[in-house]
Amino acid sequence: MKTILEVQNLCKSFEDNQVLNNINLKVEEGEFLAIMGQSGSGKSTLLYNISGMDRPESGNVFLCGKDISKLDDEKMSEVRLDHMGFVFQHSYLLKNLSIHDNIVLPGFRSGKMPREQVNQNADILMKDTGIDSVANHDIKKVSGGQLQRAAICRALINKPEVLFGDEPTGSLNSSTTKEVMDIINDVNKDGTTVIIVTHDSKVAARADRVIFLMDGNIHAELKIGKYEDYEEKRPLREKSLNQWLEKQGF
Amino acid sequence: MNWLIVKNDFKRNKMINLALLLFMMFSSILAVSSVIMAIQTIESISGLYKIAQPPHFLQMHKGEFNQEEVEEFITHYENLTSFQISTMIDVYGENLTVAGDKDTYNLAESRLDIGMVKQNEAKDLLLNSEHEKVTLKKGEIGMPVLLKEMYGMEIGDIVILTSNDITEKFVVKEIILDSMMNSTMTSSTRILLSDEDFENLKGRIGENEYLFEAYFTDSKESLDFRTAYENAELPQNGQAVTYSMIFLLSALTDITTVFVLLLVSILLIIVSFICVKYAIMAALEEDIREIGTMKAIGIRFADIRELYLIKYRILSTIGVITGYIFALLMSKAFTKHISTTFGDTEFSPFAIILSIIVGLLVYFLLNFYCKKVLKKIKGVNVVDALVNGSGFDNKKNIVNDGLYKSKKLTANCLLGLRESIYRFSNWIIVFSSALIAVLIIMIPVNLLNTFNAPEFITYMGSSLEDILIEVDNGEKLEDGYANVKEVLENDVAVKNYYEYRRIRTKSTSAEGEYVNLHIDCGVNAGNELKYLSGNSPETRNEIAISYLNSNVFGKETGDKMILYINDTEKEFVISGIYQDVTSGGYTAKSKYDFAELEAEKHSFSVDLNDNEEIKTKADEWAEILGAGISVDPMKEFINQTLGGVEKQLRGIVYVIIILGAVLVMLITVLFLKLRLAKDLSEIATLKAIGFSEKDIKHQYMIKIGTISTFGILVGIVLTDILGESLVSAALSIANLGIKKVELISNPLIEYFVCPLLLMMLIQIVTGIIIKSIKKYNIISIINE
Repeated sequence: MKTILEVQNLCKSFEDNQVLNNINLKVEEGEFLAIMGQSGSGKSTLLYNISGMDRPESGNVFLCGKDISKLDDEKMSEVRLDHMGFVFQHSYLLKNLSIHDNIVLPGFRSGKMPREQVNQNADILMKDTGIDSVANHDIKKVSGGQLQRAAICRALINKPEVLFGDEPTGSLNSSTTKEVMDIINDVNKDGTTVIIVTHDSKVAARADRVIFLMDGNIHAELKIGKYEDYEEKRPLREKSLNQWLEKQGF
Repeated sequence: MNWLIVKNDFKRNKMINLALLLFMMFSSILAVSSVIMAIQTIESISGLYKIAQPPHFLQMHKGEFNQEEVEEFITHYENLTSFQISTMIDVYGENLTVAGDKDTYNLAESRLDIGMVKQNEAKDLLLNSEHEKVTLKKGEIGMPVLLKEMYGMEIGDIVILTSNDITEKFVVKEIILDSMMNSTMTSSTRILLSDEDFENLKGRIGENEYLFEAYFTDSKESLDFRTAYENAELPQNGQAVTYSMIFLLSALTDITTVFVLLLVSILLIIVSFICVKYAIMAALEEDIREIGTMKAIGIRFADIRELYLIKYRILSTIGVITGYIFALLMSKAFTKHISTTFGDTEFSPFAIILSIIVGLLVYFLLNFYCKKVLKKIKGVNVVDALVNGSGFDNKKNIVNDGLYKSKKLTANCLLGLRESIYRFSNWIIVFSSALIAVLIIMIPVNLLNTFNAPEFITYMGSSLEDILIEVDNGEKLEDGYANVKEVLENDVAVKNYYEYRRIRTKSTSAEGEYVNLHIDCGVNAGNELKYLSGNSPETRNEIAISYLNSNVFGKETGDKMILYINDTEKEFVISGIYQDVTSGGYTAKSKYDFAELEAEKHSFSVDLNDNEEIKTKADEWAEILGAGISVDPMKEFINQTLGGVEKQLRGIVYVIIILGAVLVMLITVLFLKLRLAKDLSEIATLKAIGFSEKDIKHQYMIKIGTISTFGILVGIVLTDILGESLVSAALSIANLGIKKVELISNPLIEYFVCPLLLMMLIQIVTGIIIKSIKKYNIISIINE
């Protein structure tokens, strides 16, 4: 398997507080990685630094073969457009644009595909995620779950190699969480690498691998195996993950 | 408790509060300055008039007259409080040479009729800058402020008078203020001599001109007096001027300045209020969750509003007081021309009281306006405020996606244009500041351009030829006429020329009284003038009359008018009504030659074959024709007549251009700072999904560019529509004989330089401010 993300000696601190301490990490192409840890353990900071949303203090981050820790704003924007998608805890859709327009925006900006194709892809994504009926709605007029699905569609519109998620289901109820995670699993199944931060063990149980952060270090790692027939193996995956997390003091 | 919240708010929202404070201060400065300027103009002029006492009616006369006849008339005229006849020795500019510290120059270039006078006893006094009656000793001279301004002469300079083999030297002892002849538009100016020098020179040099000056209990009597005076066939070989004309001609420059400042102030106050509203809304939107929380825990609307009002009361108090102080400091600069022309005057208690009242008015208006804007809190929905962080956008959300159907426009263009079109109200400040900047700059620039344009002469009742020759030297009038004719007939440089005779006849006024009518007659009379209605006279029984005469005689175009010519009546048809400021605005034009009447004046308008030669030819002819006949290139005629107004206006225009440019930049900076603070989350989102800082900068450039271009375009259209109406209204109020002015714009400046300059400034400022997004960290914004 090809390595799609490699993190070398990544350090990050805020004022005197060392948040990430010499992190080394490799993620394979097509892998689903979940990052977990206690509050303040540095899991979100790690995600922001490996996705180029923030800059590390030292160390290197290779995403799709490029060292993104050294890229200028212009080049970093290209990486964000062409190689990755990011889903936040809240949808952060642009006001005054319809759901459809929000989704196609990165596609229009990228220019990789003709606009007709971007529009078609958006239609497919919206259909797959069940929000096609609200395509032309104002974002204030749809539910939180629909907004988060729209945010996922927007992250996927340019067919990224990696999808990052910072607590993508953090603000959703359990049934919507399930729906959103099903979509993310489907995306992963189609070959997109997924890296998410979550504090929800049920969400993490859908990942191939879980790393546990403590005091800015990767304290432990658990390989659960490729997600397949989740419903059938769900109790077992969740049980083993919960036991492991308990050991880590979670 | 409230105070603590306010204190914290000042700490937290420094930028918004500073912006608010500046806008409030702006409003105060402008309102107070305009009031001070307007009052100072009126106060300075009336201060000067109170001591100098210019006549309510002045008739100038050259040549002999019967004093007994005049006295007989005066004794029988009721309502006359005082009458005096003073003598003026007319000299020509070339008779006077000034030796200053730096250079020596002759006044030959001056188009003004220069008269030497001695000080009057009690009325029509010539004063110094302290408004004191000037008394001179032998060998001393008082030069008018008008000539000082034109030539830069100073106290201590030597004035050498050379005429009829007499040479006299005088030392400039005072720069004098002349309440009656202090404007280039009056075409005459007076130099003060000591009584001894005056008596010594009288009869030996120049030609004597007499000033018949009448005073009444009410200055409005002057028009009736004028008619009675003229009908009594009393001396009238010269101009007749009424008090209101004296006042308006003297004050035209400053009235124009006050008008321009007032216009600018009103426009800027409108912008300031829009900015205040925007800044308050920005603050409220920022505080929406706090407002929601306060409502949720049961705090009443009035109490929440009071919390904000305390802050705005503090801001408006500081803003109005500092604005008032700035206005007081700046008013010195604005009233400089007034002080120079009408003397130094302290701020009158009236100016102080009225400016304080205006300051308070601004304060109460601001508070009332803030209160009105804060009413929006009432409509905030607690759930919207707490859950969505929204609550002020009560408009129905219509999602417009039309632009996304575009196949060619870039994503940045689409986002930028979309915001400009569908969210126009969010950018109203940029639109209105650009629009108002154009109005502020272009109306005064066009006014200045109009004063400068050769066509403006047509508003003054003159035609547009290269050289104007005027012969009005009393007894030698016909000799002068013959000489000019001979020169023009024999000079090959002359392409063509037209001659006009000015005669005086009578007609019946609207009130049924006989009123004198001065008519310029000649084959080209009335051609090339701007007509308010009708056309120039075509046939010998047609006559065109000036706007002011149309009021006096109550006539319109097409009406019949009977003229009394040496006891016979002749009927004319009014072919048109034109605008005129010459001869007090009371003139007429006719093709009929009125050969049966003697001429009062002859004038020639000459066109040359070669325009390059105008100045040389004018000098050459002036030399040949000698003193008493004025030969002026038309351009110079305009320059000298309107020079004072133009000079002052030019200064004001420069200040206004800078003010307009600074205003646009300042408002753009303040607006963008507020806008960026509001758009933080959206900018972070755009960056997170792959838009670079350059893209975001482009989007703002497009938004600001589109909105400001729209504002500029509307500003240009409004300048063309409103500019003329505003200026015409102001001139009409001044009753100068001009009712309607077509502003002559310079298309290059109006349609290219001004818009481009404003666009560039706005874009440069936008570029600089947008650079600050570089330091925006996506994550810290997202996590806020």
